[in-house]
Amino acid sequence: MVKHARYLLLLPGLITFIFFLVAPLLIIVMMSLYTPVWPGYTTDLTLQNYIRYITARQFPTLLSNTFFTSLLASAICLMIGFPFAYCYSFKIKSEKARNYITMFLLAPFLIDWTIRSVAWISILGDQGFMNSILLSMGVIGEPIKVLFTPTALFIIWVQTNLLFMIFPMNLALGRMNPEVIDAAKVLKAPPYRVFYEIIFKLALPGIICGFIFVFVGTISDYITPSLWAGGMQTIGLSVSTYATQFLWPQASAGGIILLIVSMAVLYILLKVVDIKKLVYE
Amino acid sequence: MKRTDILARVFMVLVFVVLYLPTIFLIALSFNTSAKITFPIQGFTLDWYAGPLKPYEMNPSYIPIIHDWQFWNAVMISLRVSGITAVLTCGLVTLTALSLRYRLVGRDILFYIFLLGFVTPGVLVGLGNLLLFRILDITITEWNMIALDTIYASSFGFILMMSRFDPDLMLYEYTAAALRVGPLRVFRHITLPLIKWEVLSAGILGFLLSWGELIRSLWVVRGTGTVSIFLFVNLGVYPLTTKWFAAGTLLAVVSIAGLMVMATILSRGAK
Amino acid sequence: MLKSNCDFSKRIFLRQNIVNLIYCIADRRTFRKLYISRTHFSLFLNEARGNPHLSKMIEVKDLVKYYKKVCALNKISFEVDEKVPFVIIGPSGCGKSTLMKILSGVLEYDSGEVYINGKNMKGVPPHKRDISLMFESYAIFPHMKVFDNIAFGLRMMRKDKDYINRKVAETLELVGMSGFENRSPLELSGGQRQRVALARSLVIEPPVLLLDEPISHVDYQLQRKLMEDFKILHKKTGATFVLTTHVQEHALTLADAMVVMNTGVIEQIGTPEEIYRTPKTVFAARFVGDVNLIPGEVASKQGNNYIVKTEIGEFTCTTPNSREAISPGVKLAYGIRPEFIDVDSKGRTCDNQLKGKFARAYYFGNYVECVFDVKGKVEVKSAVPTEQAINLKLGEEYSLGWNSGNVVLLESPSVIEGLNIEEVIYGK
Repeated sequence: MVKHARYLLLLPGLITFIFFLVAPLLIIVMMSLYTPVWPGYTTDLTLQNYIRYITARQFPTLLSNTFFTSLLASAICLMIGFPFAYCYSFKIKSEKARNYITMFLLAPFLIDWTIRSVAWISILGDQGFMNSILLSMGVIGEPIKVLFTPTALFIIWVQTNLLFMIFPMNLALGRMNPEVIDAAKVLKAPPYRVFYEIIFKLALPGIICGFIFVFVGTISDYITPSLWAGGMQTIGLSVSTYATQFLWPQASAGGIILLIVSMAVLYILLKVVDIKKLVYE
Repeated sequence: MKRTDILARVFMVLVFVVLYLPTIFLIALSFNTSAKITFPIQGFTLDWYAGPLKPYEMNPSYIPIIHDWQFWNAVMISLRVSGITAVLTCGLVTLTALSLRYRLVGRDILFYIFLLGFVTPGVLVGLGNLLLFRILDITITEWNMIALDTIYASSFGFILMMSRFDPDLMLYEYTAAALRVGPLRVFRHITLPLIKWEVLSAGILGFLLSWGELIRSLWVVRGTGTVSIFLFVNLGVYPLTTKWFAAGTLLAVVSIAGLMVMATILSRGAK
Repeated sequence: MLKSNCDFSKRIFLRQNIVNLIYCIADRRTFRKLYISRTHFSLFLNEARGNPHLSKMIEVKDLVKYYKKVCALNKISFEVDEKVPFVIIGPSGCGKSTLMKILSGVLEYDSGEVYINGKNMKGVPPHKRDISLMFESYAIFPHMKVFDNIAFGLRMMRKDKDYINRKVAETLELVGMSGFENRSPLELSGGQRQRVALARSLVIEPPVLLLDEPISHVDYQLQRKLMEDFKILHKKTGATFVLTTHVQEHALTLADAMVVMNTGVIEQIGTPEEIYRTPKTVFAARFVGDVNLIPGEVASKQGNNYIVKTEIGEFTCTTPNSREAISPGVKLAYGIRPEFIDVDSKGRTCDNQLKGKFARAYYFGNYVECVFDVKGKVEVKSAVPTEQAINLKLGEEYSLGWNSGNVVLLESPSVIEGLNIEEVIYGK
């Protein structure tokens, strides 16, 4: 009886996920294979949506925009986030301090993302904080244009997603037995090897997890690039554009391509480390 | 303090400064007298919060917060949606995380389905749901937003919670079962108290993630929508003025205060 | 210069190092892979100069360590001679692990000095010290297999693959885990993990090896085997072993020198025989061997012979010459170990005699510990050989006797001040 009860526990999650996640995805797959006939579509199966999408002139730009910007953003988050997680786990001793740090990391989330992004205008804009100070100090002759360039995009993305990178890494680092590090030291490992062999390798599931979180989060955010990077086109944006015009098959095709990109990166990363290890044995 | 310790603290403070820079400016500039966003502040005023409402002012960019009923409407909707999402996330994550500790048939496949929830780009989820409900001819309501947010938050919370479970938890449960305690009572008296902090954090996660959620919600919105949608739409249409900074500051202050309270509670609580 | 006054073990030790030296001079490329530490080399030079004087390997002077406000180590001072197996014994929480960690360089200390082979270790990181530590909690690398765990130290010392393979196989056989190379540490039992941790520390052959509770979770036969192996290894490699344990038998078997620790202070230092025969405090007497304690007062003294008055009678004691004199009137504890009390010794004369009622018995296999109730006031334990114990009946009175040469007189309960001797004996 108890055994079947366990399956019962699984049921609500399973039903919700299948209905709101798996079914919509299947519909999108189906839709992407339908033939678009103006103003709607027929249910004849075809691959022309994909072919048209891939052979379109802007596709390489689209793909590289989407893929490389997300990759770069994830890498930047990693480079800032890992030292942060390391300091958090190993350098902060008091439990109270850690709790407060967690809360302060979470707080900006509740201030809506749009407004936070907008606040950057006052900092990076032509009359903003940064430019005013640099101008008055005479370092530059005219204001640096940061807004509406990819730099602004990365700043905003890092700010929004850093949290997602830090949390899994904290998790992985927190599970480490600190004596293992001492053991490596007494086994004649110099500090840099202690770091690589022990800390880095043990934190790897967390790092990969965080990387995936940030990558997927940024890849699906089409609003920020188009607003803040000077109208940068991404695959997500094209999906949205098609959808607002009710061109479902084309939108679905674009969406599936986005999913494939996301899955490809996920697959490669999961080959590096088995993420199940982070969660259960 | 050792040199590395000082370096570590400096680094963390720097990161925080960069993270909070927009928030600081938000708060500072919300007291600006001029409507245009400039730096530095030209004058100090509280008008954008509680100033007088100019008659026949229809442009939301110029209505002080206290009179902007649309804003408050959005806040209520946000609170409702996020609140329900928090509760649902709690329940969903707890049940699923608990059940997946046991070796069930097809455990890996189930795990990947749950993983799908955050690996799938938000665009797809939103689009798919839109199409699904169109085809099934069911009207889209607020619950769609809640459902989408719950799935997104659950996927995160699931991974985060499962890895924080006490490895002895199953041991306690087996012990209780060996003492002939029924499964329901085992859950109530043993499992639940041991995981209550994880459950709580799943709920907080659900609340936070749904509060800031924009992309998925855009597809299934009806009416005014949450604060995120409200601000996004309005800032795209109406000019950017100090009023919106005031709105942001309000949210900031409330959220920071709320989180400080939680931090104090949690410090007294557990890990 | 080297031949005559060296004994066998030293010769092997020297020969190894000479071979290594020749090898390294001959092939410069493999020079890096050679781990002749400063310590090895200076020992080698020491021997080469024909100096058989044993040097002090570890010296600790007035070591103090505080954890927040709690004092973990309070002015600890001791010396470990080279090639002498050294055991630190004490109850849990007395600071043994803290001491080990400070010696290995992993933990910082507040004041005092630590010298290893004559060099001050202040500011020297663990990987530059010639000392290795096996942790009480094993600290096995969870993300590596057993083989990689053990090979880790050798890899850090940049040994070549064949050497590593060979050494790991040897060490695995030594600890009795030969087939386990490809197992994950998560699959091992507690005792298996302990052996892996032990192997990991042994395989790098450090000049000084610290072992924190190395064999406590292993079954009895394997404990015996490992203790033998420690002794053999010690002779073969000439390394200095420092072990901690809370099990008396291990300490008495393995140690040539011992320290009894109690909550951050040292109760007594000496050879096991010294501590067993002449413990200085009640704590030391109880921790090394068992002892019956009866509170009493010195009634009179004649040279080395004392008469002590207790509530159950007057007894005699003959102390060894090395012990300092106690004046009459001093309150102390009269101690006699269970193994020295004879029950119903017909025909043998004992200096002291008591009558006690047989109350309880505890079976230990080759002997039985019998508890006798004396006049309802004191309980006296005696270790009785099993054949004799069978004939004893519960509730009957028997006469207990012992010789005054086997008695210990203990004036202080412990090195820690402020303890009442009666409270310590009877427990609070």
